[in-house]
Amino acid sequence: MIAENTQTQMRKGILEYCVLLIISRGEIYASDIIAELKSAKLLVVEGTLYPLLTRLKNNGLLNYNWVESTGGPPRKYYTLTPEGVSILSQLDGTWQELSFAIAQSKESKKN
Amino acid sequence: MKKTLNINIGNSIIHIEEDACELLNTYLIEVKQHFGKSADDFEIVSDIENRIAEMFSEMLHTQQKQVIELADVQVVIELMGSVKDFENESAEEEPEPYRNAHSSGFGERKIFRDTEEAMAAGVCAGLSHYLRMDVSILRIIAVMTVFLGGSGLIAYLILWVSIPRAVTRAEKMAMKGEAFNLQGFKRNFEEEMSNLKDSFRNAGDHMRPFVKESGTFVTEFAEVLGTFIRTAGKTILKFIAIVIMISASMALISALISVAALLGFWDSSTTEIFPLNIVDKAYFSTFVIAALFVVIIPLFSLILLSIRVAFNSRSINKMFSYALLLLWICALSVAIFYTAKISTEFKEDAEFTQNVPVKAYPLYTLSIDRSRFFSREDSLRYQLSAKEYTGRIIQDDKSGPFKAPRNVSIRIEKSEGTLPSLTESYSSQGINFETALYHAKNIHYDFTQKDSVLKFSPQLHLMKNVNWRNQQVKLVLRVPVGVKLNIDRDLDRYLQGYSLWDCGDEEHREEPYQAIMTAEGLKCVFDQ
Repeated sequence: MIAENTQTQMRKGILEYCVLLIISRGEIYASDIIAELKSAKLLVVEGTLYPLLTRLKNNGLLNYNWVESTGGPPRKYYTLTPEGVSILSQLDGTWQELSFAIAQSKESKKN
Repeated sequence: MKKTLNINIGNSIIHIEEDACELLNTYLIEVKQHFGKSADDFEIVSDIENRIAEMFSEMLHTQQKQVIELADVQVVIELMGSVKDFENESAEEEPEPYRNAHSSGFGERKIFRDTEEAMAAGVCAGLSHYLRMDVSILRIIAVMTVFLGGSGLIAYLILWVSIPRAVTRAEKMAMKGEAFNLQGFKRNFEEEMSNLKDSFRNAGDHMRPFVKESGTFVTEFAEVLGTFIRTAGKTILKFIAIVIMISASMALISALISVAALLGFWDSSTTEIFPLNIVDKAYFSTFVIAALFVVIIPLFSLILLSIRVAFNSRSINKMFSYALLLLWICALSVAIFYTAKISTEFKEDAEFTQNVPVKAYPLYTLSIDRSRFFSREDSLRYQLSAKEYTGRIIQDDKSGPFKAPRNVSIRIEKSEGTLPSLTESYSSQGINFETALYHAKNIHYDFTQKDSVLKFSPQLHLMKNVNWRNQQVKLVLRVPVGVKLNIDRDLDRYLQGYSLWDCGDEEHREEPYQAIMTAEGLKCVFDQ
């Protein structure tokens, strides 16, 4: 149970970071985000992505445009806002620290 | 062959099979209710819907088919994730326990009203899930408490209003204490689908809770009434049917017995009893049989109908029911014909008057004489010997059958001359004057004077084989001024225009009433 809980927490934080990373590469459609996350084996069910996107958007990190699609209704394409970009750079810093911390922890364990 | 529906999801038109649509609809409603807590409800749900639509389009395209099937929806739900998966995701952001029931439905039972197994509003069914008790025991308790001053009814209404109805599948599962996850969800759904197949008729009922997300109390009340009539009503109806059946059968039997009695199977004298003596002997049997059929055919049909309702038996042969109807109409026409005929027998009035001499005395005693004078003819009929009884025999009218309405009236008036007199007016009705007069002449009335005692019979007597035609006897006793009368209290019922209880004399209630004829009319002695 504790393991599960920690896993969920870690996954959640990283999922958010990854989503921002994926979007930062350029305008992207939700389904493509899902495809990316799936290939990265980070997403279990798709349904969890939508609340996350909405929350990020409401916090001013994301923005989206309606883009006409061929043979279907218009799609939402997500982009990062300037605020999102700055937050992402902050997260990049955090990730560096974290990976250092993890690497360090593992190293010391080996010694 | 399967029924398909067209749905509009995420602005795409999708053909979907009915069972698949049911599952999808349930899923979406749960998703909506899950996200309904946040302000972004609409946006998230429409995102999810769009994504589902996209998945469907892909499926249709890649699998080269026209219709979304149940399996496709299951795959989509698997990909999308259940409400529980969403909860894990958002668990940290909203640490406070959810108010909504489906959120806390991890195998924990919650109280809901079960409208699917409901007799009325589903309170008992819901309680039975919650308390893990047999629903029939709770229902019996509920019904019994209704009779305890209606407390059960009030409790029921309170519980009805306060306990929410299990609308979503999640709520239904929480109500039954089933773990709410995709596994349970699937099992629950499959259960429901098998039920659906069992009775296709119920499909509408199953769909209804999803179609109607929220109803006001009034609409629900109407629905509940419908459920009640369908379920409990059916039982009550059967009970009523059995009661009707038994009482109608008893009425039928008593009708047959009384007709047998009327037609003289045991005692022919019944025809002399009022009101049966209205009917002429010539067509008495016909009339009675017609009346019998008029009464017993509806009773018989009622019994058949009750049996049908109570035991779900087949309806009777159509030809047979038409024959019954025809017979009933015939019997009714005959009965109406004779009723009309009888009513014409009262068309004309006839009256004749005769004076009876009364010997003069200064004081008379007036009394009711229940004995009856027998004519020679009567004596022969009753095989009485004139030697044994001196022409008189006691006939107790009080315990005998009611032969006719009150038909004797006595009036005491002041005589113009110095001699007393008694005038007897015999009147009757008939189809014409002649018969009316004939009936009037056939009245026998006993009035006797023995010295100063005047005896009046309480009833007139009709000659044998004479029908009741409203025969009446009006007696007018005229006595000169100054004559005293001791009037028997029994006579009060027959006296017209005078009451023996007017005189303010409490002590002498049991004694004969003492009156005196004055110039102004009859007066109480004590008033003088």
